[in-house]
Amino acid sequence: MLSTRALRIWSWLHKWTSLVSTLFMLVLCITGLPLIFHHEIGAWLGTEVVAPELTRNTPRVSLDRVMEVARQRFPSKGGMFVSQEPDDDKIWYVTMSDTPTSESDLKQVAVDARTGRALAEPVVDGGVMGVIHTLHVEMFAGLPGKLFLGFMALLMLIAIVSGVVLYAPFMRKLRFGEVRRERSTRLKWLDLHNLLGIATLTWALVVGATGMINTWADLVVQYWRNDQVAAMVAPYRGLPPLKELGSLEKAVAAARAQEPSMRIGFIAFPGTVFSSAHHYGVFFRGSEPLTSRLFKPVLVDAVTGEVTASRTPPWYLSALLISQPLHFGDYAGAPMQWIWFVLDLITIVVLGSGLYLWWVKRAPKRQASRAAAVEAAR
Amino acid sequence: MMNVWGWPIVLALLSGGGLFCGLWGDGWWDWAGWLGLGLPTAAAVWFGWRGRRSTS
Repeated sequence: MLSTRALRIWSWLHKWTSLVSTLFMLVLCITGLPLIFHHEIGAWLGTEVVAPELTRNTPRVSLDRVMEVARQRFPSKGGMFVSQEPDDDKIWYVTMSDTPTSESDLKQVAVDARTGRALAEPVVDGGVMGVIHTLHVEMFAGLPGKLFLGFMALLMLIAIVSGVVLYAPFMRKLRFGEVRRERSTRLKWLDLHNLLGIATLTWALVVGATGMINTWADLVVQYWRNDQVAAMVAPYRGLPPLKELGSLEKAVAAARAQEPSMRIGFIAFPGTVFSSAHHYGVFFRGSEPLTSRLFKPVLVDAVTGEVTASRTPPWYLSALLISQPLHFGDYAGAPMQWIWFVLDLITIVVLGSGLYLWWVKRAPKRQASRAAAVEAAR
Repeated sequence: MMNVWGWPIVLALLSGGGLFCGLWGDGWWDWAGWLGLGLPTAAAVWFGWRGRRSTS
């Protein structure tokens, strides 16, 4: 049983952490709704690239050819990443940029892995869904925006925990699921707020915590570079930057020979955050549901095409990678996406009712102070 | 004590199990995931929409 003093402290904590973060959480919940279905919406809008079905099991073209095709489209830009969707190895997505660390003006070419034909130029973070995504991730404010939203997520997590502490004193006279609808609007929404909040507690904690971890992605990757990549490529330190890159096909083949049972997730060009100045970073994923989320990097000398080093990702990188599906809800088919959708809607109701309860609780005070003001003016 | 916390604990364990099972495997694991996370969601919608009528 909470003492009166403890109750007051927890109430204060719940009130202020919620109040500060609620508006941002509402924006995140609303923009998150369409993002749950971004693949389906992309297919519906026609922005999703589809490779034609070929009758015969045709061999794959060389990755060097794939890069040639992409370069013809954007002769002034260089390679940044080459990637594949987990469920479709018929398409290579080549991302091109002005410099390996550019963050804007990225171009993408989708190349058919069997015919070497350019299928489309998907717009990176473009269209309505791009705007929604940027709003959700960083509110158009770059890394500071991400970290700010991460801090709001932390406040919301404190609000959830304090809400759980406050749940018991409010529920002493009620059975689970009981909503006092007839007494007053405030009581009805108080009971609904408590019921919906406690029923969706685990999901809200997991999505909130993994969302917060995802806001640290840039920092975690940077740390991994300093911590592990630097050690892996130590012999290359001080070498002059590369003028000409060696064959990508040869480099990827060497990496594949090292990890024959894994599939390629993406390849990073030299100089990007996922490689070194002298290496291609080839990132493999496993074929099991869980291991397909975890990447294993193999660094290949970008000139000779020989494998330099390969290390299982450290725990902090694995934690980041595992927190992605747990935030997106994209890991167990359409039913899971719909459950995510409903839980998101319920969270909007919890946030909205919380705001309403705070507002009506203030109303008597507001009236009292207005009366006092009128009194004083006399 | 258990009057208040019984159902919330059951729902929390179901949700946690569901979140984990869906991630762990495909096929039956996915079904376990849908059920685990789906039941608490259904409970929230059911009681929220229709509600257990107040007794007090």
